[in-house]
Amino acid sequence: MKKPRKGPATAWAAHWALLPMGATVLIAYIASILWTVRISLSNSKMLPRSDWAGLTQYINLFTTDRWSTALINIGLFGLFFIAGALALGFLLAVFIDQKVRLEGIFRTIYLYSFAMSFVACGVVWQWMFNPALGIQRSLRNWGWDSARFDWIASQDMAIYCVVICVLWHSSGLVMAILLAGLRGVDDEQWKAARIEGIPRWRYYLNIVLPQLGPSFGTATVLLAVSVVKLYDAVVAMTNGGPGDATDVPTKFIMDNLFERQNIGLASAASATMLVTVVIIVAPLLYARSRASR
Amino acid sequence: MKKLNLVLATLAAALGVASAASAQKAEVIHWWTSGGESAAVKQLADAYNKAGGQWVDNAIAGGDNARAAALNRIAGGNPPVASQFNTSKQYHELIDADLLSSVDDVAAKEGWDQWMPKPIKDVIKIKGHYFAVPVNIHSGAWFWYSKAVLAKAGVAEPKTEAEFWNALDKIKASGQIGFAQSGTLTYERATFTAVLLHMGGRDLYNKFYGDKDINATKSPAFRTVLEKFKRLRNYTDPGVPGRTWNDTTALLVTDKAGFQTVGDWAKGEFLAAGKTAGKEFGCFAGWGPAAPYMISGDVFVLPKTSNKESIAAQQLMARVITSPATQVAFNMKKGSIPIRPDVDASGMDICAQAGVIALKDPARQTPDPSMLMAPDVYGKVADVITKFWNTDMKAEEAQNQLVAVLSAK
Amino acid sequence: MNNTLSPRPRQPLFTPARLGVYFFLVSAALFFLLPLYVMGVTSIKPMTEIRLGNIFAFPLEVTFAPWARAWSSACTGLECRGISVGFWNSTRILIPSLVLSILLGSINGYALAYWRVRWAGWFFAILMLGAFIPYPVMLYPLVRMFAAVNLFQSIPNIVLIHTFFGMPIMTLVFRNYYASLPVELFKAARIDGGGFWRIYFQLMVPMSLPILVVALILQTTGIWNDFILGLIFAGRENYPMTVQLNNIINSTQGEKIYNVNMAATLLTSMVPLAVYFISGRWFVRGIAAGAVKG
Repeated sequence: MKKPRKGPATAWAAHWALLPMGATVLIAYIASILWTVRISLSNSKMLPRSDWAGLTQYINLFTTDRWSTALINIGLFGLFFIAGALALGFLLAVFIDQKVRLEGIFRTIYLYSFAMSFVACGVVWQWMFNPALGIQRSLRNWGWDSARFDWIASQDMAIYCVVICVLWHSSGLVMAILLAGLRGVDDEQWKAARIEGIPRWRYYLNIVLPQLGPSFGTATVLLAVSVVKLYDAVVAMTNGGPGDATDVPTKFIMDNLFERQNIGLASAASATMLVTVVIIVAPLLYARSRASR
Repeated sequence: MKKLNLVLATLAAALGVASAASAQKAEVIHWWTSGGESAAVKQLADAYNKAGGQWVDNAIAGGDNARAAALNRIAGGNPPVASQFNTSKQYHELIDADLLSSVDDVAAKEGWDQWMPKPIKDVIKIKGHYFAVPVNIHSGAWFWYSKAVLAKAGVAEPKTEAEFWNALDKIKASGQIGFAQSGTLTYERATFTAVLLHMGGRDLYNKFYGDKDINATKSPAFRTVLEKFKRLRNYTDPGVPGRTWNDTTALLVTDKAGFQTVGDWAKGEFLAAGKTAGKEFGCFAGWGPAAPYMISGDVFVLPKTSNKESIAAQQLMARVITSPATQVAFNMKKGSIPIRPDVDASGMDICAQAGVIALKDPARQTPDPSMLMAPDVYGKVADVITKFWNTDMKAEEAQNQLVAVLSAK
Repeated sequence: MNNTLSPRPRQPLFTPARLGVYFFLVSAALFFLLPLYVMGVTSIKPMTEIRLGNIFAFPLEVTFAPWARAWSSACTGLECRGISVGFWNSTRILIPSLVLSILLGSINGYALAYWRVRWAGWFFAILMLGAFIPYPVMLYPLVRMFAAVNLFQSIPNIVLIHTFFGMPIMTLVFRNYYASLPVELFKAARIDGGGFWRIYFQLMVPMSLPILVVALILQTTGIWNDFILGLIFAGRENYPMTVQLNNIINSTQGEKIYNVNMAATLLTSMVPLAVYFISGRWFVRGIAAGAVKG
């Protein structure tokens, strides 16, 4: 019989096994972040320069109209998208949980869109929103002559078109996560609630919902990552337009990195975004890791 | 001994022949991926292969994607033999960083100093050396129109600016779309540039784009240009936002809209639909025989390399691309104008011929804004223009924002 | 705790509440299916019908020529061989990237869940924050680094890149899964004398099937649909399918051949869709089995 190992589970094997992760963090992530910050303090245009420009790029950034608009846009987008995806995902999960026939088919339909690329999503939804080609045109063809659905051409409403496209793409994932969480909720609770005369919708809202905390948490993290990285869908759908109504930070960074040949400004924008994300996300991640101990 | 020498000499000769026979491989990055553009590139590739080279095609759609790929390749130490850029300031930092080979030998042999149009020479000859191989000349600020639409409104081709506005009014009154506009960043700025050039005048254009003159930007004349630009909105249709330039030209091709300002690359759309210049559609590059003629185009840059075979390939590429036969073959398919004045222009359509005539007059040659402004400033101008076009921003506010763009570091 | 996923006993169909449920589900299904319908229908219409401009109309004339063209003869530059050219490249990029990123994610997750490594917590936190960085930012330093070790523009290059960028989510997902397994199993294995690797291969891996499927779907979708990383790091001979797709869809001149574009888009999406359809049911099971618990 082998000698039982005593003490806390620390082993050199674990250290070595985690080496790839350590290397990745150091090489890919930390090095890139440091490099980005360094460039943001220089006058680099197309190629990196090793001069020092102090905070010039940051000042340029914060006085750029387009950047402020991009931040507002991503804020609006993030708010409506995350809230919408969580709500839609929750509703879908709850309704599917009602012992419906063909549950498998419904689930497949709601989830397949997640396998499509954001580019495909943007292209198709752009068509559907296009007043001359899509929904507005079809409504008028079918007789409703004064139908108007030209959000995508409107300064104020275009961002919501992007919200709808990405909702279509990702709500299924939220549904899957929440459905799994729902299935982990004890059925006995419903029986107890029914005896007390609580209606089903109340049951979901007040009894089930709080228990889905961890599921909602994970879903929110995954959705938040999509929000920050939003680029392909915007480019495919509106390319930031009309004007800068659907401009988003990642697009601002990409444009300056390549087309505008201003990597100094792009780096300043990236560093700013990173700091913003850290400020918002770090406390949440910390709270979650404490809660799970 | 003599026999050995003979053998060695024969061997040497054989080896010499062998190395000349091995084709000079040239990987070329470019963004000409549509049907028409591919047909044009094929002319370059065929000519290069016939001259003893081996063209390795690396086509990437989207100018930004292609340039990004090329730039990262150069940064990674694995550059292509040749890479496409616009005739502009896009590659100047590469020159400053000593990352491009020069083509002075080919330039001297072909006499570029003598006949290359000045605006192009200014952006490819830096500090006395040639660093890019021009492939073609495009012209940006043309006006195109559908003859059917104008006929239905009862107007003829406008010969002055006043007639142009009059024509727009009449077309609108006849229930058709007066002005077809592409609601994209690049083309909103392009329309503004055309208005600045043809309605504001060459001096104002050069002061703004070339000198970045603040006073000119604040002037009432500039404000008028902005207002005229915005006025064009009254003649557009609701489908403008997001519509690509070629879908916009399609409106003219299908006789739904009257005018569009876009470069001579629009000609390809008409030709692909079987239309003939002068019959179904018309073109003019400004009003009057002295109207400024905006020049732009594409070049190939040759990233510096120590690989002997690549260097030979680059020199061959420079020679082949600028030779008269290749110039004619390529530009006929591309819809642009050859860079050499000594080619036979009789096979071209009337629009191209008008361009060639305009090009011959040095007083009319005007550089495209991207030849005058660095990419990031040019991009910021577009940001202001698109906001001005799409919102109810006042002309004064746009002027102030443009002044801020020009003054920024 | 009710741990079953089997459908519960059915209820009668025609009560208002039930009808309401089905109405909602069907409406949502229409919302989700609409884009697929538009894509599919457009890809089998001739251009003459598409120019009429009614994207929801069912085709009067059905043609599969656009699919054939997209696959084997659409022009992507000088070559006119369609997107089939990139299919094998995408596959050659996908499989090693899947293996490496999932393997490392699983090892990381296991180590983080059960073993005390003092620096690991901090590194994991940075890794998670790294998931929020838009990766264009990291392109230039990575290009220089790979060039410095002579790996730039090769299959190993792109595989490592995908591994780097997939590591945060993969580690997170595996860690949550392993942490949700009963800790008694681990303790028992330790008492039996098991070390790090033995426990991993003999205890964790056999139990990983549900979460493996989750990881498979997430990574396949992300890697297969990637464009910019493949463009920059894979090398011209190894361009993935998405590069050809971009060349077909985003060519700047000429009329957009919408039916070929849509067919090409659908063809490119086939692989993630297939992976999803085949393993879809396991996806939900995998999540239920604990991938997402706190």
